[in-house]
This record gives sequence, structure tokens and C-alpha cells, in this order.
Amino acid sequence: MFTETPLVRRKARAELVAKCVFGAMALCMVTPLLLIITHLVWEAAPLLSFEFLTTNPTGGMREGGIWSALLGTIYLVTVSLLIAAPVGVLAAVYLNEYARESWFTRVINLAVVNLAGVPSIVHALFGLGAFVLFAGIGRSILAASLTLAVMTLPVIIASTKESLGAVPLAFREACWNVGATRWQTIRRIVLPNSITGILTGVILQVSRTAGETAPIMFTGAVFFKKVPEGDIFAYSIWDQCMALSMHLFTITTQVTDAPKALPYATAVVLLGAVLSVNLTAIVVRSYLRSRKKW
Amino acid sequence: MINATLMLRWSGAALLALGLLGASCKRKTETTEATVSSATAAPTDKKKESIQNIGSDTMVNLAQAWAEEYGKLAPNVSIEVSGGGSGVGIAALINGTANIANASRKLEPEELEKAKKQTGKEPQEFMVGYDGLAIYVSKSNPIEEISLEDLSEIYREGGKFNKWSDLGIKSIPGAKSDDIIRVSRQNNSGTYHYFREVVICKKADYKSGSLDMNGSKDVVELVAKTPGAIGYSGLGYATGDVKIVKVSKKKGEPAVMPAIASVLDKTYPISRPLFMYTPGEPDPQVKAYLSWIMAEPGQKIVEKSGYVPLNKK
Repeated sequence: MFTETPLVRRKARAELVAKCVFGAMALCMVTPLLLIITHLVWEAAPLLSFEFLTTNPTGGMREGGIWSALLGTIYLVTVSLLIAAPVGVLAAVYLNEYARESWFTRVINLAVVNLAGVPSIVHALFGLGAFVLFAGIGRSILAASLTLAVMTLPVIIASTKESLGAVPLAFREACWNVGATRWQTIRRIVLPNSITGILTGVILQVSRTAGETAPIMFTGAVFFKKVPEGDIFAYSIWDQCMALSMHLFTITTQVTDAPKALPYATAVVLLGAVLSVNLTAIVVRSYLRSRKKW
Repeated sequence: MINATLMLRWSGAALLALGLLGASCKRKTETTEATVSSATAAPTDKKKESIQNIGSDTMVNLAQAWAEEYGKLAPNVSIEVSGGGSGVGIAALINGTANIANASRKLEPEELEKAKKQTGKEPQEFMVGYDGLAIYVSKSNPIEEISLEDLSEIYREGGKFNKWSDLGIKSIPGAKSDDIIRVSRQNNSGTYHYFREVVICKKADYKSGSLDMNGSKDVVELVAKTPGAIGYSGLGYATGDVKIVKVSKKKGEPAVMPAIASVLDKTYPISRPLFMYTPGEPDPQVKAYLSWIMAEPGQKIVEKSGYVPLNKK
């Protein structure tokens, strides 16, 4: 029969303390995010409006909106993902599905892991040397996007490999046993079953790309550039552009007497864009996962 | 069904990437042709043209103001302004990656040689205004004037003045100690080089232990928050939170407040011209922009931004 001995009581108390401490730590994770968001929105409130998004900075960047910076960030993110996503996913498919364990694949895997650990400022210098000067592209959206693509590639490869690896080997074996080729197996079985994870990995790179300042500073982001308002094709990939992260940096460090709400409002837009993209990733993932049968 | 759409999606993306690469090769030849033809023919086409303007941090706000105003006049010319420091601008000039380099100092002979060698063209210099280098202290500091010699003693390697009492300042309200907190700039800044040339003398170096800031605005902001600090920065960056000290050429001579008049008649000792450099003869669009800057409307903006316009003769 179960009796409440001192030992049992002590155990129960330890259990309660552990639960409270761990719970508090978990809460600590949430508080900074909530504090950051409320603080930013509170400070930015006087400036936030639709016009803020669709007008260019004016009055020595002290007034007006952030149109050219917002559009620039959208261009940089889109072009860099258009480059990095296909290359990264295809490379991961090769590494996970085709390549046999050999010194060659080991070197590639090592390169991927190490490339992921390179600081962004080093990527910036690489981009400046390789794309801007050596390849002769010049400071432009294309050069900046290529730099960002190199930076995001290893992460896309790693996350794609992980999602491919999560597809049970039994699925592939079943497929091979009925006579399917490797490519047929990949196309019909592996990719459909791992697309959720692949997409999530790619979409999560959007937030990283949008927030980076260092890699684009030397390769294509400018202090100021005026573009026609409301025209989403205002930049060509050969132009340099403004970017939200860079704009935030310059208005806080270089522009005197800018209204206090201006950097906050810029930060809110950057954060809002990133959070909404992440939210899309979550929605896409849960939708596709709900159709999975295993 | 997923696999079909998926295939389509990936092949589409791959095609786009290939297209981009292809376009990059094609476009490069186009631009070289365009620069050749624009040198001979008049710019009749309405094509959007961008001017890359990079350099001095002192001038970046001014360059931004020009670009903003000029954009209203010539909507088909788009000016891309970046900062980074005079050194960054001059490096871009040498590499041939800028149409206009801003510099708050003159090009050094070695840099001129390098640019000639790299680009094969003689860089052209355009004086676009002046800047008074103001000496900033905190508002609570009672100091009213300072001579160039004293400034040199404060900033120069081996200089004698390390404490405010050396200058005869008894106490500064709010300061933690008597030490002079020297605020300076990073070494690729034109302001840093100019200050060394005029105040410290070229042969000597800065005293170590100064706080080197990355931007003109940072210097003023730090001085405003630090009672025992002294710093130098462009007159255009003055705010209500700092005090500007009068400067005299020599001890005993009258000290002068930096202002448009005193910079223009050269009674204020630390003022400098601001330059824009082009690699070789500027093409027509750049030339039009530069002449607009040096004419009345551009010079009005110079004055409005807190710098000193060119002397009209």
C-alpha cells in the first residue's frame, strides 16, 4: 500500500521546485521577444502608417517613409533565394541520395559545415573581392544577392539534407524493389515526403537574409537612393539599392536630428516582415504535414 | 500531384538562375559599349542612368541632400550615395567602381598615381564646398577658447596636456576626473587625416588611448554625453547638446568661432575644402550633376546642411 513517507514527500517537493524553475526559464525565453516587440511598436507608433511604407525618405532622411529601402530588401531576399534555393536543394539531394561515402563527399560535407560557420563580415569581404571586383559585376543588387546566397547556401544544404534524411529508408527500398530508378524514387517518393522540411528551411533563410547588414554593405547597399514610389520594378539587378537593415544602421549612426520614432518604425517594418514570413513557413509546414500519412 | 508542381517549380527556378547568369554576361558588354558611345554622342536617350557616389562620411549627408533634390529635377538619373569614409571613396576611385568619389581631403600624390595606373585615366578634381572642423566639448565645460598649440598638446603623441587643469580648467561639473577624454576618428576618415595635418603636424602621430569613432555624428554624440570629453567633427554635425569652442591660430591671437563668414575669409584656422573626384573626364550626366552642385541651387543645399558654400566671385 502506498504511504506518504518523508522520502516520498521530499521527492514530491523536489519535483515541484524543478517544474517551477524550468517553467520560469521557459518563460524567460518569451519575455525578451514580447518586450522587444511592445517597446518597438510603442516607440514607433507615431510614424506607423501605410504611407510610411510607400514613400521615399525625404528631408535629409529625417522625414518620409522607407519605400526604397523596403523594396531593396525585397529584391535582395528574392534574388538571393532564387540563386541559393535551387543550388542548395539540388546539392543536398546529390549528397543525400546519390553520393556514396567517399573522401570526396566527406570533403564536401566538411566544406558545407565550415562555410556555415564563416562570419558574415568575412562573406562580405569575399563578395567584394569575388563578385564586385574579380567577376566585374560591380556594386549591385546582383553582387549583394550572390554574397547573401553564398552565405545562406550551407544552411539550406544542411536543412534540406536533414529533411531528406527524415524520409525512412524503407520507403526508398520499397521503391527500388519494384524496379524504380534512383531519380524516379527521388521524384515520386523522397521529395514529396520531405518537401515540408525543405520549404521551411528555405523560408527561414528569408529572415536571416533580410536582417544581414555586413554582407551587403560593401557589395550593393547604399546610404541613399531615390526610386519611383509605388513601382515594384523600380530597381534593376544592376543597380545598387537601399536596404532596411542598412537604412536602420545609417539613420541611427549618421543622420543628425532624426525623429526618435524613425529608427523604431524602420525596425518594426523589418521585424514585421520577418515574422510574417516565418509565420507563412509555419502555416505551409502544418498544412503539408496534415496531408502526410505516416 | 505534388511531384508535378514541384518539378515545375524547381525547373522554373533553375531556369531563372541560368537566365540571370546569361544576362550578366550580355549586360557587361552592353555597358562597355554604352560608355564608349556616350563619350562621343550626346545623351539623347531617355534611359535611366545611375551615378555611383561614394566616400567621405563628413559629406554623406550633404551628398544625400544633393541626390534627393537632384532626383526631383532629373528623374531619369538615379544617384546612389554611400558613405564609409574618404579612404573608401578614394579606394573605389582607384578600383574604378565609383563615378564620383567624395573626399574631405585632397588626393595624395601616390593615390593619384595608383588611380592613373589602375584606370588609365587622370582623376578630375571638383571643389564643391568647405567644412569648418569644429572643436566640441560638453555643455558643462567652462572652456571658451583654445589655441592650435594647446590642441596639439592634447592630441599629439608625447603632448604635455592630459588633464583639464593643464589648460587652467579647475573643474567640470559632472566629470568623474580631471582627465581629458580625447575623442577622435577611425584612421580611414578624411577628418582624421586633415586634423593630423593641421593640428598635430604631419610627422607626429596621435596620442594613443583616444576613443576613435566611426562617424562624424558619433563624435558629437559621445562628447555630448561625456562631461570631460573633447572631440573634433564637421560643423554640420553640431547639435544643441554640445558646446563649440573658439579656436585661435596661436596663443594670444584672437580666437574665432567657426561660421560661414570666418571659414570663407580664412580667419578660422581649421577649415578645409570638400572635393568630389571623377575617374577621368566625367560623362555628360555626371558633368551635369557636378555643375548643378557647384551652381546656385547645389550651393544653397551646402549652406542648409551646415557646411560652407563656395565663395562666389
